[in-house]
Amino acid sequence: MIEFKDAGVTAPDTGVTILKPTSLTLTERRISVIGANGGGKSTLVRMINGLIPATTGSVEVDGLDVARKGPQVRRKVGFLFTDPSAQLIMPTGVEDVMLSLRRTIKDKDERTRAALDALDEMGLGDRADVAVGSLSGGQRQLLALAGVLAVTPSILVADEPTTLLDLRWRAHVGALLRSLPVQLIEVTHDLDSAARAERTIVIDDGSVAFDGDPTEAVRFYRDLMFGRTTRTPSP
Amino acid sequence: MITPTGLYRARDTPLHHAPAWVKVLLLLAATVAVIMLDDPVSSLGIMAACLLLLLSTQPPARTTAVAMAGTLVVAALSASIHLWRGDWWRAVDVTADLVAVVALALAVAASTSMTAMLDFVSLMARPLRAILPPETLGLMFAMMLRALPEVAEIYLESRQAARARGFDRNIRAIVYPTTTRTVGFALDLGQAIHARGIGEEGDQVDSDAGGSRVSRRARRSRRSGNAHDVAAA
Repeated sequence: MIEFKDAGVTAPDTGVTILKPTSLTLTERRISVIGANGGGKSTLVRMINGLIPATTGSVEVDGLDVARKGPQVRRKVGFLFTDPSAQLIMPTGVEDVMLSLRRTIKDKDERTRAALDALDEMGLGDRADVAVGSLSGGQRQLLALAGVLAVTPSILVADEPTTLLDLRWRAHVGALLRSLPVQLIEVTHDLDSAARAERTIVIDDGSVAFDGDPTEAVRFYRDLMFGRTTRTPSP
Repeated sequence: MITPTGLYRARDTPLHHAPAWVKVLLLLAATVAVIMLDDPVSSLGIMAACLLLLLSTQPPARTTAVAMAGTLVVAALSASIHLWRGDWWRAVDVTADLVAVVALALAVAASTSMTAMLDFVSLMARPLRAILPPETLGLMFAMMLRALPEVAEIYLESRQAARARGFDRNIRAIVYPTTTRTVGFALDLGQAIHARGIGEEGDQVDSDAGGSRVSRRARRSRRSGNAHDVAAA
């Protein structure tokens, strides 16, 4: 369970409010977060694993305060970025997944086997030793996902994971994410994908503008973007 | 993008099985030997051995050919200076030395995984543990190598963008976007490492007995499929 307790973010140097104090309890298995660029979506989800610390209030994951128990929280919360290139550190796929596993599996042979298994699960078994730079964008995103899932997080936060992918890879990665046995918090501009969640949060101008049924949330967001409605923040 | 850092391929060759420290020591010894030896016959012998070692690692043909072609160009330029001065003895010696060292370096790169190299760097950095954790230094090394092709790609894209806008000769039009995008890449990479929990407190990598204890517990948890135990470990 993820709990935002009046958690907000203000830029320390400029004093600009990026996210107003927000209270949310996230228990659903599939939650989508939508909103205009610069509205505060990424800030909200980055607070879940402490990439962006709350300047007011607090965020808790399974009862652990993110500000005080950051490393423990990050072992529970996997994070998938928009651009996998920045997430991949090692030159080949198998080595990158092995890097994730260094903390949990000390024996090198066992670590290699576990990394190859993780790649197999993503359908990248035959690309294990291929240079990361030679992989397609979709394959890189799958590799980044393999690196995240290798350490068996219980929550996965995905910040626009399909934005840079073509239609085929978008469908593949999207379906894969939805099939994972983890709690998924996905920031997306793909409204069809957002509507498949159990709960959708619309972020606008640094605060929650709508929180509830995905179909209604998508309709609200469309109306908001095209000026057909004024904001009525949900309770 | 072709880089020597992408040379490694998993193969079943003697050099692949050799520990990283042996290969680095061999490279150092060969480099010292070719510098010390002022004899073209010996240099040619060492060069032949190094080339054979390189071939034995079955490196990717295209990447290796590009790297060797560049070396041969430099060697030819260097040799031509000595030939112009009438010192063919030195020309052969310098050419053979250069080819030998580069071939051996490529053989090491082609047969050593980044993980093995990272472990080696961490091992070598142990005396500095009071200043910097060895794993952090190893990670820095890996990130540096990882960043090279990315920065090169950013530079090429910035140059193309400048050209598209008609700023072919404007250095600032290339340097500014390259710099800002490189900083952006570094920040993204830093966030990703943070998000993956790599190098954080309790992240024990190939270190002490505590690491073994952590590892055993994690392995047990993985076998039993207990995700929470693995995470806690």
